[in-house]
Formats: sequence, C-alpha cells, structure tokens
Amino acid sequence: MMRRPVEAFRRAFTAMARSPYLTLTGTATIYVALLSMGLVAAALGAGERLLHAWAGEVKLSVYLAPGADLAQTGSAVAALAPGRSVESIPSAEGLRRLAQGLGEEGRLLDGVGPDAIPDCVEVAVPGIGLDQARALSSQLRSLPGVADVDYGTAWLERLDTILRRARAAGLALLVGLGLATAVLVSNTLRLAVYARREEIEIMKLVGATNAFVAAPFLLEGALQGVLSGGLAAGTLLALQAALLPRLTALLGPLAALPPGAGLALALPLGLVAGGAAIGLLASGLSILRFLRRA
Amino acid sequence: MIQLFHVTKEYPGEPPALSDVTLQVGKGEFVFLTGPSGAGKSTLLRLTFCAEAPSSGQLLLFGRNVARISPREIPWVRRHIGVVFQDFKLLPERTIGENVALPLEVRSLPRREIRRKVQGLLRSVGLEHRADKFPPSLSGGEQQRVAVARALAADPALLLADEPTGNLDTERTLEVMELLAAANARGTTVIIATHDRSLLQRYTRRVVALERGRLVSDGDSIRQAGGL
Repeated sequence: MMRRPVEAFRRAFTAMARSPYLTLTGTATIYVALLSMGLVAAALGAGERLLHAWAGEVKLSVYLAPGADLAQTGSAVAALAPGRSVESIPSAEGLRRLAQGLGEEGRLLDGVGPDAIPDCVEVAVPGIGLDQARALSSQLRSLPGVADVDYGTAWLERLDTILRRARAAGLALLVGLGLATAVLVSNTLRLAVYARREEIEIMKLVGATNAFVAAPFLLEGALQGVLSGGLAAGTLLALQAALLPRLTALLGPLAALPPGAGLALALPLGLVAGGAAIGLLASGLSILRFLRRA
Repeated sequence: MIQLFHVTKEYPGEPPALSDVTLQVGKGEFVFLTGPSGAGKSTLLRLTFCAEAPSSGQLLLFGRNVARISPREIPWVRRHIGVVFQDFKLLPERTIGENVALPLEVRSLPRREIRRKVQGLLRSVGLEHRADKFPPSLSGGEQQRVAVARALAADPALLLADEPTGNLDTERTLEVMELLAAANARGTTVIIATHDRSLLQRYTRRVVALERGRLVSDGDSIRQAGGL
C-alpha cells in the first residue's frame, strides 16, 4: 500500500483540480443519485413515524353481549392487558359520550334508550403496533361475554397495508437506485480514469505499483462521494426546513409528531457514509478494471 | 543483464515481429539495436521492459526469467529500467519538472530530494530554465531531452532508448548521446534502438542488427555501419 497517504491525498486533490469538469460531473452524478435515494428514504421514514404517532392514539373497545357482567368482563380485560388503562363504560355513559361527541347533532339521540348501545370496556393502548393490537383484540374477543372488539381504526389498518406495500416498493426502489447509482457513478468515474489513461500508462512504465496508481483515484471517489452525500443531506435538511411547517399546517395529525420527528439523524449521516462508500466502490471498480487491462 | 534464448514474438494475423532471436547483453554494455522500420527493434525493447511477454523462447532480465515475473513484481523490475520512448510519452498537463519527477515520485522519495534531483537532471539536459513550462510549449528536441532526463532520473541499471535522437538536429543529437554515454560510464547498461547510420558511424559500439524480426548480425559499429 501507499507508504505516504499524505502524498496520495495531495495527488488526489491535484488531479481533481486539474480536471474540474470530470470532478464536477462525478460529484453531480453521485449527488443526484443520493438525493433521489434520500428522498425515497425520507418519505418512507416520515410515513412510518406518522403511522406510529397515529397508532399512539389507538383505543380498543370491547363490546359486551347483552346480559354480560360489565365489572367481571372489565377485570378479565384488565388481566389480559396488564399495565394498560382499562375503563368500564356502561351503556348509558356510552350513549352520553356519543351524544357529547356529536355536539349539536347529539340531540338526534334524544329518546334513544340506554340499551341501544352495549356496555363497553375501553383499553387505552398508546404506541401499540397494529400487529399487537390485532393479537390483543383476538384474545379479548375470546373472553366470555364479549360480543365484539373494535380497535376503531380500520383506516389505520388500511394505511398500514399501504405503508407495508410502500415500504416494500421503496426498498425495491432503493435497491434499484443503489445499483443504478453504482453503475452510473462507475461509468462516470471510468471516464475520469479513461481521460487519464496516458498518465496511468506512463506511471506504470516508470515503475508505479497498482496501489500507487489506484490510491488517488480511490481517494477522489471517496471525496466526491462525501461531498455529494453532504450536499444531498444538506438539500434534504433544507427541504425539510422549508416544507415541514407547511405540511404540519396542511395535515392536522402531523402537528402531533413529537419534536425532532422530521429526518432521523441516521439519514444525513447515512447519505454521507453511503456517498463515500459508493464513490470508493465505483472508483475502485473503474480503476481496477483498467489496471487489469493495462 | 539481458539474455534472450530463441525468443519469438507473434501477433495474430501478422508475420512474427521477432523470430528465434538469441542475444546476450552484459552489464555496463552500450548497444545499438538497428534495422529498418518493422525489423523488430521496438518489439525487442517492449519485451525487455516487460510491456509484453515473448510468444516462445526465454528472456532473462537481471537473471530472472521474464515469464516467471508476476504482474505484481513488474513495477519493481521496471524501477531498474529507464525508457526513452520514440513518442516521448510526456504528460502534457504536467510541467517539465513534474514529468522528470515522475519516476522519483513513484519511488516515494522525499519531495526535497525529488526537487534537488530534478534540478540537476534538467541542468544536465540544458532545460533548467524551462522547468515550469508544459511539454506542448517545447520543441520536439527539447521534449526528447526531457524524456531522456526522466529516463535517467532514478539512476537505472538499464536504459532503453527507442530512437532517442530521431527528432534532434546534429548538435542536440550529440548532446543526448553524451548524456547516454555518461550514464553508461556510470555503469548503466544502455540499449539504443536506431536506424540513424550516422550514429553508428560516429560511435564505436556494439551493434545488433535485426531484419524482419530476425537477428542478422551482431558486431562493432564500424563494421556494421559499413555493411548496412
């Protein structure tokens, strides 16, 4: 390997300065690819966090069969959901809450008897995953005296299904983008290698080892990747700063996101590290392929 | 230093570039390799600095069979060889000084030592005042001298020169030949491929003549020049 890494860095910087157009092209290519990947990852991440925030409001409603004992069922429910807040709601109270929830239109319920709706036990399950909610409701449904269990968020389940599909599609897209990026960047960096083929040939003729020839190319690739990753991360953070307040105003539920629920820190860091890895890999592939032929 | 035993080099669809050549060059020799265009001079030089391998036969370089030198070892072998190419092979976007410094950079010498050696080399070829210029701004003769300076930069044990005076006038030819002769006097083995008869007449040296890839004669330059 290179005995003098500082010298390799100097040669890498000199080469980049000598070919600004190729450096710019390589950096721009990696930047566009990383930004696309970052946007997809950010959208997926935001969707997941949104779902989790909404899932935090989930309450399971256990409806009792006519004649079932509310206190007894309430205890059985509490036993199945230890540590959860369990509230037994007699039908009259349920009706009152329903009327209150309907506001002005609550008057429509005037004259409706308390038996119109069943007794109910509500279990607050903040932060529960939909899979857990499903499992718990299945257990609760099997309790004696329970007519039905509703976790009240069929729309949430639909969203979960959509998000699962989006996650799968997003991952496929990310993998595809990653491969396309590697090929694209490799081809772009191969141009840089090709433009300097004469230099490589002469260096080899005067006794340069493959490591000596390759070192500045690898460093160039890594530096371009870090630069591109930094730019892509900066762009995403800027987009977040510009768009998140507007989205929050537009979508009520987003306001319920906890602080710092925008881009996870891992994403910008991942873009910089990923950029370096892609740059290194692509330049490595390009120069090694060339050196093997030289 | 160099031993060729029945070396043949063939390229697909062409007559052999070298055919059954057996030749020895000892340490410290000064040899002219001569013959018309297409005789195989450049091919022989390319085999000698491991740019290609013989199709058949054996080539021993510094006592090692070239066929058994792994690609990983080739750079280390080349560090003992200086080459002056017919087309100079100077990097146009690097200064004259940087071009001459290349073999020294490859050896990871300290920058101060590189600077000192480059100044001395450029002085010896009369180009110290042009160290910061770029090759395209130099005449063909000046570029040739830069190529010679680069080949001599690392004090090689073997110096191969392919038509090193091809672009030079008589005065510059003599200067370059003096440089090569001086290197030879310091112990460097020198092989010059040329078809310049005047060189052979001017210098009494060993001359190896090739024709259509075959070695046709091997003797001193006076006899050869007369026979060519």
